[in-house]
Amino acid sequence: MKTATSDIVNAATQQPPRAAYVHVPFCRHRCGYCDFSLVAGRDDLIASYLAAIERELTRLESPGLELATLYLGGGTPSHLGPDGLRRLFDILHTRLRPLPGAEVTIEANPGDVTASLATAAVACGTTRVSLGGQSLDATTLVALDRDHTPDDVRRAVDILLTRGLAVSVDLMTAAPGQTLADVDRDLDALVALGTQHLSVYCLTWEKGTQFESLSRRGMLRPADESLERSMLELTIDRLEAAGFEHYEVSNFARPGGRCQHNETYWDCQPWEAFGPGAARFDGRERITNHRSTTTWMRRVLGGEDFTGDSETMTPLEAAQERVVLGLRRRDGLRREAFLNASGFALDDVAGASIRRWIARGLATDDGQQVRLTREGLLVSDGLWAEVLRPM
Amino acid sequence: MSIDCKHIRNFSIIAHIDHGKSTLADRLLERTGTVEKRQLKEQMLDDMELERQRGITIKARAVRMECRHNGELYELNLIDTPGHVDFHYEVSRSLACCEGAVLLVDAFQGVEAQTVANAYAAINQNLAIVPVINKVDLVHARVDEVLTEMEQSLSIDPTEVIKASAKTGIGIDDLLAAIVERIPPPTGDPQAVLRALIFDSHYDSYRGAITYVRLIDGTVKKGQKIRFLETGVTHEVLELGQFVPQRRACEELVAGQVGYLVCNIKDVKQVHIGDTVTIPGDHAAAAMPGYKPPQRMVYCGLYPSEGENFEELRDSLEKLAINDPSFEFAPESSEALGFGFRCGFLGLLHMEIIQQRLEQEADLDLVQTAPNVTYQILKTSGETINIRNPQDVPDTGEIEEFRQPIVRTNFLTPVEHIGPIMQLCTDRRGVYLKTEYLSPTRAMLTFDLPLAEVIYDMHDKLKSVTRGYGTMDYELVGYFPADLVRLDILVGGKKVDALSIICDRRDADRRGRAIVKKLRGEIDRHMFEVALQAAIGTKVIARETISAMRKNVTAKCYGGDISRKKKLWAKQKEGKKRMKSVGSVDIPQKAFMAVLDTGAERP
Repeated sequence: MKTATSDIVNAATQQPPRAAYVHVPFCRHRCGYCDFSLVAGRDDLIASYLAAIERELTRLESPGLELATLYLGGGTPSHLGPDGLRRLFDILHTRLRPLPGAEVTIEANPGDVTASLATAAVACGTTRVSLGGQSLDATTLVALDRDHTPDDVRRAVDILLTRGLAVSVDLMTAAPGQTLADVDRDLDALVALGTQHLSVYCLTWEKGTQFESLSRRGMLRPADESLERSMLELTIDRLEAAGFEHYEVSNFARPGGRCQHNETYWDCQPWEAFGPGAARFDGRERITNHRSTTTWMRRVLGGEDFTGDSETMTPLEAAQERVVLGLRRRDGLRREAFLNASGFALDDVAGASIRRWIARGLATDDGQQVRLTREGLLVSDGLWAEVLRPM
Repeated sequence: MSIDCKHIRNFSIIAHIDHGKSTLADRLLERTGTVEKRQLKEQMLDDMELERQRGITIKARAVRMECRHNGELYELNLIDTPGHVDFHYEVSRSLACCEGAVLLVDAFQGVEAQTVANAYAAINQNLAIVPVINKVDLVHARVDEVLTEMEQSLSIDPTEVIKASAKTGIGIDDLLAAIVERIPPPTGDPQAVLRALIFDSHYDSYRGAITYVRLIDGTVKKGQKIRFLETGVTHEVLELGQFVPQRRACEELVAGQVGYLVCNIKDVKQVHIGDTVTIPGDHAAAAMPGYKPPQRMVYCGLYPSEGENFEELRDSLEKLAINDPSFEFAPESSEALGFGFRCGFLGLLHMEIIQQRLEQEADLDLVQTAPNVTYQILKTSGETINIRNPQDVPDTGEIEEFRQPIVRTNFLTPVEHIGPIMQLCTDRRGVYLKTEYLSPTRAMLTFDLPLAEVIYDMHDKLKSVTRGYGTMDYELVGYFPADLVRLDILVGGKKVDALSIICDRRDADRRGRAIVKKLRGEIDRHMFEVALQAAIGTKVIARETISAMRKNVTAKCYGGDISRKKKLWAKQKEGKKRMKSVGSVDIPQKAFMAVLDTGAERP
């Protein structure tokens, strides 16, 4: 079963990536829940960062890659300001060349969005902005340690939509003190913004964050699990009713509004990535750059090895991962597409597990397509151990 | 180098745990020049790694020392004994090889339960007692009171007690003199037919079985043919010698001496502890009574965890049993746990030690069921059966009488804690027998208690109600009828045989409620609701529910997150070790111990 289709897999591996991610690690302030790779209040490093990005890009031979998607995440890319953004894109364009019609996304903080920033973004080729709104409730924003107001969010969305940019807004649920009614109001307000795309994340309590430390000392209390579940279910119900597709665990889009870049990840297609903590994938190996901004910079500029962890997958392991990432999506897995892409029959990789899930009402199967039910999706982390096991 | 019996002294040191027995042994080795000070590791005789770790002696051991007294040279053989109640059996074995015993009592702790138990064991074997108060240099030493306690509880003449400090060496010379003067020499005849008692053995991977012997009569020489009476096998003596404390070969051993034999025995099962060694042929000596076989008080099931190997577990158990005749095991199977072994132990400490050795030395991941004692059932057919596993209890219709082991238990305690101990024993259906006062401040209480009530947590409870000052010791009285039932536990509607227990009918409701409550805390939530029930027969007497996991989904899973999240999911996989799946419910090792929860609101 493995040899017949391995050529297909190899062909996929050989294809140059058509997606690229660039990590911009600067923030004005680190929020209490954030464990991302970033530096707060260190704008003095921006010049070195840009130099390091320019240097890392030379990993790609000239003329570089033609891209269907480019995504600038962070940190806060908008923190660079209009001029900084222009300088960054100038550098990126030396090796990364978005094709006509490509999706080019930047992440932005509502407080950073001004008319001149939007102008700069459009001039750089940006087509889409992902806005870290988190909530439209002043109390929740304070609870989340954010430095913007609900009006900042509305104003930012307004500016961006006026420029013809596609906009996505993040919403956070299960914030300290947040009630189900609060989420309900947030969802109303969010839908009313008129964006194409929404991402909804349940607050997580990561090790090393200020929130986690406060909760260990009993000074902040995470929401209980049944409330978290109610919030997620309410979100799905409300957004679907408002015309959004729930196309991945945390992502909602109006028809045609999905984030193509993220879909590259979930399709297990190769992608390039640059910057501290950024992970790239060539179809077989996933290599993550060193997570520390300063270490990454020093090593890149010093000509040393700046990579951190890496994970190499066998074709079977890649297929197992494809099951997980596929089932986290509303579309689930199509047997034929799975076989073509991975070289394995879905049922050889996860057939027994899938049958158990169906019996327990966690999945459905129409013969061609396997999907998780809502119940299955809500508890899906508990399913993956059996799929990812060595065979 | 033949030595006259007159110049041999064979003795043990007996003491309550922690009273300084190993330190005293070290000091004697040093003072007699057996081991030079710079070579002295702490607690020389405890050479099993576990013994040093836990500060206890598990196996009997023998070491030869020399000392001069009034110008004459004496051979002193110290046969070390374990101090814990579980190893009474080994104590009696050691004492049978001696003419005397050094009774060691801590100058602060005073007479404790194992002091009394071990002293009586020595007195019953007519051994000369050399009483010692240890740690007299401690600031808190209460020498006079402890002398009174020794007099009251053991009829020891206070004027005979040697005051010593094993740590600093105070009184050690007096002790050596007393050992020579007060302990009688052995009485054997070196010219008579060879007669020796096997009191221990261990397995050496190069030499095979090393047999520990005490010569009663006659002489044994290198190259001689000898016979083990019980096994009926004849061997040639390849090497013999004494422990100093390492093995030192010599040409012969004579009546009264203690030493070892190496006979190219590849299988330790051929060496029966308590067997008699003599010459082959018609003129052999008669067999000595030997030892009572060890009595296993506690049984539990040991099963390989998910993914571990049954055969590997069997090999490891066999290896352990070679050096520990008091441990036994037999294959069994459980619906819930699959194939494993029913293992018998002298007590709970013994069980813990075996389990720890299996995990440390063999690197095995085990699921252990809760320990239970052995019960007896008289069936209506007239047959009596021993129950080592609650699963083997027959239908009620077949039971004429259900009997449990009762132990006579002595508690030594400062008098102010008598009340709480009375309460503790009454709660556990104990029968009060008597109170004796050892001194105005210390007393000994005696109760008959079901063994099942004693072994699990009695020691911990005693320590807690007496602020650490109470000690206890027990011996089996016999099996007595009681109103006992088997309590079954159902997980997700399925009976989990490994969770069944036997308990008093009057305790069943309380125990059942406590167990399912405890299980609720031990079993992780699943994606479905899990019902936990306790039942006698078909009647459910307690119920708890583990609600379903309602939300468990990673929100962010983009490019750089994927590898990290996969590691987290894989961790959930590793957490499945030490688990057994029953139906689709994963039950962790700890849950199998939940059945020990008695549900009593005791202090």
